[in-house]
Amino acid sequence: MNKYQLRVETGVMSFWKRYKGKPLGMIGLIIVIIYVFIAIFAPFLTPYSPKQILLADRIAAPLWFRYVIPKYNNAPQTVTIGFDSPLYEIKDMPVSHIIEYNYSAPKTFSLTFDCWVNAPFHSEAGFECLIKTPEGREYSLWGKSYSSDSDKQVVRIDSRDLGLKQRLGLTIFEDPASKIFSSRGDYSLIFRPNPGFGDTSTRLYISNVKLHIPGLVHGILGTDHMGSDLWTQLVYGTRISLVIGLSAAVISVAVGTAIGIICGYLGGVIDEFIMRAVDVFLAIPVLPILIILGAILGKSIWNIVILVSAFAWMNTARLVRSQTLSLRERIFIEAAKASGGSDIYIMSTHILPNVLPLVFASMVLLIPTAILTEASLSFLGFGDPRVATWGRMLHNARGFGAFTTLAWWWLVPPGLAITFLSLAFVFIGNTINEIFNPKYRERL
Amino acid sequence: MVYSRYLLKRLIYALMVLFIIITFNFIIFRLIPGDATKMIIDPKFTSEAKAELKREFGLHEPTHVQYIKYVGNMIKFDLGISFSTGRFVINELKERLPNTMVLFLTSFVLTVVIGISIGVYTASKQGTFSDGFVTGAGLFTYAVPAFWIQLLLLMLFGYYIPILPVHGTISAPQPYGLFLQILDRVHHLILPAGSNVIVGFGSWALYTRNTMLEALDQDYIVTAKAKGLKENIILRHHALRSVLPPIITLVFGALPGVVSGAVITETIFSWHGVGKYLTDAIMMQDYPAAQGAFYLIALAVVVCNFAADIIYGFVDPRIRIGEGGKE
Repeated sequence: MNKYQLRVETGVMSFWKRYKGKPLGMIGLIIVIIYVFIAIFAPFLTPYSPKQILLADRIAAPLWFRYVIPKYNNAPQTVTIGFDSPLYEIKDMPVSHIIEYNYSAPKTFSLTFDCWVNAPFHSEAGFECLIKTPEGREYSLWGKSYSSDSDKQVVRIDSRDLGLKQRLGLTIFEDPASKIFSSRGDYSLIFRPNPGFGDTSTRLYISNVKLHIPGLVHGILGTDHMGSDLWTQLVYGTRISLVIGLSAAVISVAVGTAIGIICGYLGGVIDEFIMRAVDVFLAIPVLPILIILGAILGKSIWNIVILVSAFAWMNTARLVRSQTLSLRERIFIEAAKASGGSDIYIMSTHILPNVLPLVFASMVLLIPTAILTEASLSFLGFGDPRVATWGRMLHNARGFGAFTTLAWWWLVPPGLAITFLSLAFVFIGNTINEIFNPKYRERL
Repeated sequence: MVYSRYLLKRLIYALMVLFIIITFNFIIFRLIPGDATKMIIDPKFTSEAKAELKREFGLHEPTHVQYIKYVGNMIKFDLGISFSTGRFVINELKERLPNTMVLFLTSFVLTVVIGISIGVYTASKQGTFSDGFVTGAGLFTYAVPAFWIQLLLLMLFGYYIPILPVHGTISAPQPYGLFLQILDRVHHLILPAGSNVIVGFGSWALYTRNTMLEALDQDYIVTAKAKGLKENIILRHHALRSVLPPIITLVFGALPGVVSGAVITETIFSWHGVGKYLTDAIMMQDYPAAQGAFYLIALAVVVCNFAADIIYGFVDPRIRIGEGGKE
């Protein structure tokens, strides 16, 4: 037993020794390790979650564009301001809050707050909400008069609302956001009671004030059409791709190996039947059938894994079968049979270990195929809609305006991520082949 | 004699595959969660009206009767009526098939011809540059998502430098005159077909080059060289001849994959073809349409595979003459 283990260990060691000498193999390995780290430590690489939206304006450019592209020199970053105190009681003096804004004009902004009025004696009272620019111009965004108690009201002001444009005296083509935030400096957001408010015992209450000015530059890679962070999607997409690639490759190679060994070793009718089935499977166009089956069975990640594996085992089966056919004629198999080894015993202890090197390489080479297949499915809109994948990023980029806005920074990263990961696995697979199966060296 | 027996065998095999695909089609579209009739039958209908509609679509009969009728319909190309347009699926497919054929044939032929030519050329001119180029192109085909390259090319030539149309098969309105119309179609074809070639030629080049290099190592090539034959003649008449059969098998073996790629290409460039019809149909849960499109695609692959068998048997003398052929 000890002796046996020692032999295996030296086998692994000598494999590693030979592997270390192959630069491409090492590059591949390092890339894969980096991806694995990104997948594991995703939450530490980004402060957001891939589902968080409205982090910035739609299709915002990467933040570093500011330092590279003159057009973005002073582009706004997202500014979100909430009042420090949770609740304000306004008697007669206005409440104001200073907003520092040092960028060029944004495209939109929104303001939300809750307000209610306590008016014990029925008396006319009102207030307005306004923004004062550094130059001292005032824009009244909202106002209301009360003559009695009111329930809590949630006020939402959006710069794209027609009502607001009318209130500010703008035409529908003018933009309140760029008009109001046209200069840099200290703005103030003011809630001001109307004159005469203090004469009554009316009280106005304001809470949950939040001013949101979505930025036009954001994060490492900008945002998508929902204002969701692209870097976050890319980082979390690594997880999905690795999981799908690895599990589909393992499943299909396991199935392929089992079928290949059984066919090759047993031969006869079973072999004939299964090999014809392999031919049939190989003749089916994979992507159309995956699209159809995916739509029918439901678009979950595990369905995709199973479907991708279901149409990827055939080549392994063929390879293993031919290898088994030649192994079957070898003396040591004869010896095992003669000493009474059962078929299952021979297949699992004598044939399986001997086909493993071949299988191992083809498994590594199947990973990029599985990753690409999943990416294609997601790109076409047939992936799991609940998770951020690279294919889905590209789907969104195509469907939601990356082209018309020329947002190449939305289109390029997911593809590069797929490419480098696939290349890494190809390098590793080829290196393993070079070591174990020199005959297959030149093949991709 | 041997060749015809071989052909018969392959024909029976092709028919078997077709039959399996029809059966498969029959089964999967009955796996749809819930009742397939839900799609077309409004739940508010009375039960008589529902039964009436079911009779119209033949859904009241026992499954095996439905199956036999289904196989018959498929053979007659009676693919049913589209849920979303109410037209015969076969008519809609007929409109789209020529577009798909044009795109498919142009890109596939160009890809294979360019790929094999580069492979043969670089095999004759060995050196670090040609080695690197072909290996790089092969890796490119294998590892880079084709649809991503197509998207990048679309953005570059459709939006940054808008010299090529970004979607569709023809301009609307079409230009006047046959010549301009053909030109217009070619203009629309450049991006989809060209991007397919860029994405696909690498693996052909690499495979051809590798098999050529193996062939050039053989003794009979050395003999030919010793006889003083010209490099060019050795390359074309001796080496290429011997590597052609495996390459031809590969060409036709690649068809299912190319068809898959065509579905994506058509979707990206909004090409008015069968592949886009399939994805659109599934998006709209138009099952008769999806079924019809898939049947047509699968049929095309089966036919191509059979054609491959015919040609393979013809090119490989072991099968044609029957000496130690595998069949």
